[in-house]
Amino acid sequence: MKMKKSSKIIFTILGTIVAVYTLFPFYLVVLNTFKNANGIVSNPVGFGGVSFSQLMANISAVVNNSNFNFWYAFGTSVIITVLSLVLLALFGGMAAWVICRNKTKWSTAIYMVFIASMIIPFQVVMLPLISTFRDVSQFIGISMLQSIPGIVFAYCGFGGAMTVFILTGFIKGIPYELEEAAAIDGCSPEGTFFRIIFPLLTPVITTVTILNGMWIWNDYLLPSLMLGQNGKVKTLPVAVQAFVGSYVKQWDLILTAALLAIVPMIVIFLVAQKQIMNGMVEGAIK
Amino acid sequence: MASISFKNVTKTYDGAASPVVPNLNLEIKDKEFIILVGPSGCGKSTTLRMIAGLETITEGEVYIGDRLVNKVPPKDRDIAMVFQNYALYPHMNVYKNISFGLNLRKEDKAEIDRRVHEAAKILDLEHLLTRKPKELSGGQRQRVALGRAMVRNPAVFLLDEPLSNLDAKLRASMRTEIAKLHQKLDITFVYVTHDQTEAMTMGDRIVVMKEGIVQQFDTPQVLYDTPDNLFVAGFIGSPQMNFMDAQIVQEGSNLYAVVKNNKLLVPDFKKKALAPYAGKSVIMGLRLEDFLPKEKMTKDNTLNAEMNFSELMGADYHLHLTVENIPVTVKIPSSEKPLEKGAAKIAANMEKAHFFDKETEKAICH
Repeated sequence: MKMKKSSKIIFTILGTIVAVYTLFPFYLVVLNTFKNANGIVSNPVGFGGVSFSQLMANISAVVNNSNFNFWYAFGTSVIITVLSLVLLALFGGMAAWVICRNKTKWSTAIYMVFIASMIIPFQVVMLPLISTFRDVSQFIGISMLQSIPGIVFAYCGFGGAMTVFILTGFIKGIPYELEEAAAIDGCSPEGTFFRIIFPLLTPVITTVTILNGMWIWNDYLLPSLMLGQNGKVKTLPVAVQAFVGSYVKQWDLILTAALLAIVPMIVIFLVAQKQIMNGMVEGAIK
Repeated sequence: MASISFKNVTKTYDGAASPVVPNLNLEIKDKEFIILVGPSGCGKSTTLRMIAGLETITEGEVYIGDRLVNKVPPKDRDIAMVFQNYALYPHMNVYKNISFGLNLRKEDKAEIDRRVHEAAKILDLEHLLTRKPKELSGGQRQRVALGRAMVRNPAVFLLDEPLSNLDAKLRASMRTEIAKLHQKLDITFVYVTHDQTEAMTMGDRIVVMKEGIVQQFDTPQVLYDTPDNLFVAGFIGSPQMNFMDAQIVQEGSNLYAVVKNNKLLVPDFKKKALAPYAGKSVIMGLRLEDFLPKEKMTKDNTLNAEMNFSELMGADYHLHLTVENIPVTVKIPSSEKPLEKGAAKIAANMEKAHFFDKETEKAICH
C-alpha cells in the first residue's frame, strides 16, 4: 500500500517529535556526564563545559567511590538479572507449552490468571507483597527480603505473565506433528520440550529476554522495596541513591552512574537487534 | 511379523456425541501395502493414528503382530510414520533429522552413520545432509521424512497423506518412489490418502471408509470392477462412474432398464439378480469407458443424449453429455472424432453396467 505524500510528511513530523521527546532525557544524561557538577547546574542543556577528560574523571569518581561500591552493585545487578531471565525463559517456556498443548478448563483458567495479572498495576500489590514475603520468610526460614533469591523469585512472578503470553502465541504456531514425530522417535515429554520445543523458541525467547532484561536491569521500585536503601544487597539503580543526599545531589556522579548502568543494555540491544525484531514479528503473525 | 488387527475398535473423541470410528474390524497381512482411502472426516487418519499410538482407543483391541498395543507408547510399537506436513525438526540439519531417533535409542555412532548414509543414498539425499529443512524443496523434505522413518528399520511404516503438499508432477514421481521403497524394505505399509489415484496405483489392497465405517476392503481391481455399494462405485475411478435412475421393466422373458425414454436390454447373466426389482426403480452405473463404438449401437443399448463439450486428455477424449438432464461422461480414443454439439446417440455397454438398490445403495449386480 502506497502512502500519500502529505500523510508521509505528517507521519515523519510526528515520528520526529516522538523520537526527540523520548531521546531528550537520554541526551541530557549523556551530555551532562561530560561536565562537572557546577557545569551541569549552570547549563544543563547546552554544550558549555563539555570535555572528555571530565567524563573520565566522573567515571573514575563513580567507580572508585567508597560509598557507592560500583562493581559490587554491578555484579549484584548482573546476578539478579541473569538468574531471573534464565528462570523466566525456562519456566515460562514450560508453562506456555503445557498451557498451549493441554486443552483443559484448568489450562484455560491458568492462562486467564496469567493474562489478568498483566493488567494489575505493580503499585497495587507492592505493599501487600512485602508483608507476604516477610511472612513467607518467617515460615520457611529463608530470608526473601534483602536477599537475591527473594527478588529473583519476585521477578519470575512479575515477568511470568508477559513471558507466558508471548510464548503461548508462538507455540501455537509450532505444528503439533513435530511433537508426535518426536514421540514416535522415542522422546519423553521432557525430551520433547528440551530437544524440540525449546530450541524452536530461541527467537522469541531472545525477544522476551531482552524485554524482561531491560525492565529488570533498570528497575528501581521493586529492588528499593525488597532490598531496601540500606541493605547489604543493592542493584545499580538502588546504589545510585548513594549520591543523593538530603541537602546535596551530586548530579555529575548520579548521571555518570546512570550512564554506566545504561551502557550494557544498549550494547546488548544493538547486538541482538535483528533477533528481537524477528522474534516480535514471528510472535505476532504465527 | 507385523500383521495389524483391529478387533471391534471404537474411537470417540472427548465431548463428541458419536464415535468417529465405530466398531472397526480389519486384518492387515504382514508385508502388505494397504491404503486407507475416503473423504475428509471419514476416520482414515484416526485409524492410522491408532496404529501409531497417537490416539487412544476408546473400545476394542489393536494388535501389531501378536502383541496387543492398546497401551504401548508410540516409541515401543516398532513403527515409523511419515506426516502430511513432513514434521521435520526445523533446527536440525538433514543428517540430524534422520539420525534423531537412533541417537535417542543410543545406537552405536558408527552404525548410525552407516544407516543414515545408506538411507540417504537410496533417497538421493547424500548431497543434502548438512542442509536445514527450510533450504529444501517439498520433494526433498518428503524424502528426508521417508529417510527418518526408514533408518529405524520399523516393522510397520505409516504414511499420512504424505504427497498431498506436492505438485502433480512430483506427486506422480514420489508415488513410484514409495512403491519401490515398499518392495525394497519388504515390510507392512499403511498409507492414508483421499486421492483415489494414489489408492489405485499403489496399494495391494484398499480400505474404502466413510463415516468411520469400512465400505469395502479389497484389491484395487475388485473395487473398480465390483464395488459393493454406491459410495465405493462413486469414489473409486476418476472421473467418477456415471449414475442414472433406471426403472426395471419385465417384457416377456426380457428385462429392461428404462432411463426415461431410453430402453436398455439387461444381459441374461444379470437377469436373475435384477428380476426381484421388476417394476421398481434402481440406480444404474456406467463407467466412462463402458460405452460402445457407433457400429455396435442397437436399439437395445442406445441412449439419446445432448452433447455439450469435449476435453482432450491426450490419449482420450472425455465427452460431456446429458442424458435426460443427467450429466454423463464418456471416454473415447483421441483417434476418433468427438461428437458434434447438440443431439447425439451413445451406446451403453450393458454387460459392464452396475446396478444398485436405491434404498440400501448396495450393489445388486455387476
